[in-house]
Amino acid sequence: MIGILRQWLAGLPAYLWGGWGAIASLLLLLAGWEFASQWLDPLALPDPRTVLATLHGLLTDGNAWSELGITGRRALTGFALSLGIGSALGMLAGLSMTASMMARPWVTVLVGTPPIGWLVLAMLWFGASDGTPVFTVFVACFPPIFIGAMQGVRTLDGQLREMAQAFALPPLQRLFDLYLPHVLSYLFPAWITALGVSWKVVVMAELLATADGVGAALAVTRSQLDTAGTLAWIVAVVGALLAVEYLLLEPVKREVERWRTLA
Amino acid sequence: MLNRLLAAPLMLCAFRPLFLLAAGAAVLGMAAWLGFLLLGWPLPGVPGGPVVWHAHELLFGFTFAAIAGFVLTAVPEFVDGPAAPRPAVLALVLLWLGGRVAWSASGVIGPWPAAVLNVAPVLVVIALVAPLLWRDPARRHLSILWALLAWLAVTAGFYTDVLRGEPPMRSLHAAIGVVMVLVVIVMSRISMRVVNSALDTLGETAVSYLARPPRRHLAVACIVLFTLADVLAPGAPVAGWLALAAAAALFNLQGDWHLGRVLLRRWVLMLYAVYVAMALGYALIGVAVLTDLGSVSGGRHLLAIGALGLSIFVVMNIAGRIHTGRELDTRRWIPIAAGVLLLAAVARAAWSWWPADGTLLWLAGGGWGLAFGAFIAHYLPLYWRPRPDGGLGCEGVMDSD
Repeated sequence: MIGILRQWLAGLPAYLWGGWGAIASLLLLLAGWEFASQWLDPLALPDPRTVLATLHGLLTDGNAWSELGITGRRALTGFALSLGIGSALGMLAGLSMTASMMARPWVTVLVGTPPIGWLVLAMLWFGASDGTPVFTVFVACFPPIFIGAMQGVRTLDGQLREMAQAFALPPLQRLFDLYLPHVLSYLFPAWITALGVSWKVVVMAELLATADGVGAALAVTRSQLDTAGTLAWIVAVVGALLAVEYLLLEPVKREVERWRTLA
Repeated sequence: MLNRLLAAPLMLCAFRPLFLLAAGAAVLGMAAWLGFLLLGWPLPGVPGGPVVWHAHELLFGFTFAAIAGFVLTAVPEFVDGPAAPRPAVLALVLLWLGGRVAWSASGVIGPWPAAVLNVAPVLVVIALVAPLLWRDPARRHLSILWALLAWLAVTAGFYTDVLRGEPPMRSLHAAIGVVMVLVVIVMSRISMRVVNSALDTLGETAVSYLARPPRRHLAVACIVLFTLADVLAPGAPVAGWLALAAAAALFNLQGDWHLGRVLLRRWVLMLYAVYVAMALGYALIGVAVLTDLGSVSGGRHLLAIGALGLSIFVVMNIAGRIHTGRELDTRRWIPIAAGVLLLAAVARAAWSWWPADGTLLWLAGGGWGLAFGAFIAHYLPLYWRPRPDGGLGCEGVMDSD
């Protein structure tokens, strides 16, 4: 365990240094934005520095942190529920061919129902409480996680399983060395996709259903025709997502998927 | 007379006269500039004034001579082609010298002679290497040709502005960008050999160095975009973001080099320092354009002294030595001179904040002059004499090849 940790820490500086490439391409994006803003009305597209200054103002007067906190709590609650229930049910469905066959149309129904439809249902069921955004996030995140878990289990190498049986591997070792690494390599990308979905959906749900959170703040900037404020909130949400994905999930994902390059 | 001149050891290979002229132009050009700034010496009156004279001489004089010497030596080696014929090299040298005189006299005789004599040598170099680069079956080094054509464009652009009576500084700024691209391209070739042989020396077999093309292409793209923005809309925020993107892309490029203690080997560390100076230079420009911190001029001089000056110094010490049939110089003066050059870059950048402090300028100009003066002192005796191994041209150390 300590060995893995040390290895992970040793690779960390190189990983973080690799972030410069991402920073370079984001800065190119900002240059493109700046270029476009020169040709458009500031009301349609303010330049990036104005937006960043607005965001800086929101962050220093403390407003942004509380709104981001509220939004983050809702997104992560919905995401965590999806992660737990979706992964468990997906893996269970993957264990049996019949269950997988039966579950597929259900997932298609879930994917096919637009999130906005779920949102309206949630508003009817939960009103203006936290339940509305949390439920919408849960439903939107569920299908990719469920499918990931199901496919992870379905694609387990049957020969490896037989070999584990032949060598009479203890069940715990079988779980940690055989099943989990394989299933996780399917689950992790699904979780990351779902995390992105959760952030997008929670803001949409808040915009229509709640009085606080980033979505509600966006509703206010929209009504005031405050494009700079709107973009500032968007930058805040995207920035938070990038930070979580690249600083937390991506390093873990690399660690989990390392066996693929070794194999 | 002419035949004796062509047969002289100094003409054995193109880099011999050109590297010496480059170092000479570096020392003399900087001495005249320091004299003008600090001692009130007069400078030749030229279109655009003293700053344009300074930038022109260090870019189209010093830098071009070094680039010409390098490509005429390296390209035949890269593509396994014949070296440039000596009469052509002699013509190039004479044109280059004429260009120096004509530019400094352009206040008196007009800009046309300077235009012809500064553009012509670029054409000669392109005419000499383009067929080799093009005929190479894999065309792996065509990017060098594009960079030379870009250099031709900035030289011609400069004189177009001068002849039309417009401020010509933007072409000189663009010239720095072209050199940065060329440095990134050339260093990717040189570093593969330098870093991997340093790894061999250390006995490290577990890692090997690879100059990864995607990282290099991203850095080149960012530098090109910044250079274009800097020419078309100098000082605009777009240029600022692009400068920051170039800085980040160059930091990204440094990731290739993080292979442990091999980074501390002298040739590796000096080449790495070129990228550090380049990244910091672009960062300083970007910050200066977008905020009221930073300094555009300070950033440009980090590029010009720290990246351009140091890379030329290092490359002249590598290519300019092994192609005389000698192993690399292991003496201490080289890392010391490189350190002095970096110090000069920092001092010149700092001068942008404290323009009243003449000491910083002395440090900057003096450090530059010392480094290239030391090059002349160490290499003139080598270039003046025939090769010790009996070689008759540009080939590298004979027994190792």
